Amino acid sequence: MSFWAQAWEVARTDIRIESRAGEVFKVVTPFAVVALLVFPIALGFQLSVVREIGIGVFWALSILFGMQIALRQSAADSLERRDVQALLGVDPAARFTGRVMSATLLTLGFMGVLLVAMTLLYAPSLPDGWAVGLIVTSALMAVGLAELGTLAGELTAGLRNRANLASLIVAPLAIPLVMGASQSLEALARDESILPWVLLLAASALALAVGGVALARPLEEAAQ
Amino acid sequence: MTRTKILFGLAGIALAYGLWMAFTAPPDALQGEYARIINIHVPSFWLAFLAFFVTAFGSIMWLSRKRQRWDRLANSSAEVGVVFTAIGLVTGMIWGQAVWGIAWDWGDPRMASTAVMFFVYLAYLALRAAIDDPVIRARRSAILGAIAVIQVPLVYYSVNLFRTIHQTQSIRPDGSTLPDEMLVAMLVNVAAFTLLYIALLSARLEVAKAEESAETESVLAGDAVKPPKISEVKDV
Repeated sequence: MSFWAQAWEVARTDIRIESRAGEVFKVVTPFAVVALLVFPIALGFQLSVVREIGIGVFWALSILFGMQIALRQSAADSLERRDVQALLGVDPAARFTGRVMSATLLTLGFMGVLLVAMTLLYAPSLPDGWAVGLIVTSALMAVGLAELGTLAGELTAGLRNRANLASLIVAPLAIPLVMGASQSLEALARDESILPWVLLLAASALALAVGGVALARPLEEAAQ
Repeated sequence: MTRTKILFGLAGIALAYGLWMAFTAPPDALQGEYARIINIHVPSFWLAFLAFFVTAFGSIMWLSRKRQRWDRLANSSAEVGVVFTAIGLVTGMIWGQAVWGIAWDWGDPRMASTAVMFFVYLAYLALRAAIDDPVIRARRSAILGAIAVIQVPLVYYSVNLFRTIHQTQSIRPDGSTLPDEMLVAMLVNVAAFTLLYIALLSARLEVAKAEESAETESVLAGDAVKPPKISEVKDV
């Protein structure tokens, strides 16, 4: 079985497990929408402020809840499942890649729902040409988040305080992703090129991909 | 006298001399007396960067050689690096309050990225604290230690990459923007902080070694000592 066939098989299995567990779309997404409702209440229903911060809240919630998608319980392998995969000869790098692929797809779906909800609830003021900018930056951000979350999930596998610890690892390392995403729309609003910020996002995602694939075997051993 | 005590003695002398130079250098034309805090702020960050590179080096060496001493080095250096980062952040905030009129400026990517780096290494230490098994602890923290170092160049070059109120590097490969007296005072303090880093690292390595042998002894004792049977226990 080729590398990509293995990766695709891992991703397909993850998606199938998620479709049965419903952790992302039945738990994480509604929780994120509730969080969207909290901000205007906390700000005293000031419509102008809500419109102004809409897109910023979207990025912040994407990071905070997006990392929960990569760290979801349904993606945490039991020791037995890891042993089976090892005995089947699944390449650790393919396993990492597959897991990132599934987490990316789920994160993109989550971000899509969140964007629609944010647009309806906040009626944000968006710059011209925002659609292309938002699609590109969201896609890169989803990939980066999925990679970071998968790495942190492996590092904290089996630990008592896994959820908090993994979030503590992911949140600070995700800052270049938030910065790239938020600044690209800011650049559009200022009529400037978004290329430097897209490059920052792409470089972060690429560095994490290279790191994840290179460290896949030690990560596999570390999770035992 | 142990090596660590000698190192602390040397670091103490060097720090005293560095502080004396910092306080006797002429005040800055614009910042006045507040500029003297740079003699602690800048060396703290330089040593924090060095400490995190040493952590990455120790982590990569552990991953390739699997020797416990590399894990000790990585962990000890990260702890010292976190202390230096905290000193740098606090002195920077004091200086910012005095000179910019604000302790924390969100328009300054250097401050934000440094805080991020600080939390990444706090996460590294938290990860270590959460794992009991020494081999699993070493393996997982080595992976994070090797990845986390990516933050260091980002922090260093953030003042060049973004428009910010933070000044760019005063000491560069093509020369320095500082007057000679301030430059000498800064370099003496960098040397003093380097000695302090080596002394702290040496002390932390000794503690780590003692912790490991204590863990080993307790495991051995645990295997050797059996609790008495209830029937053998006599009422006193």
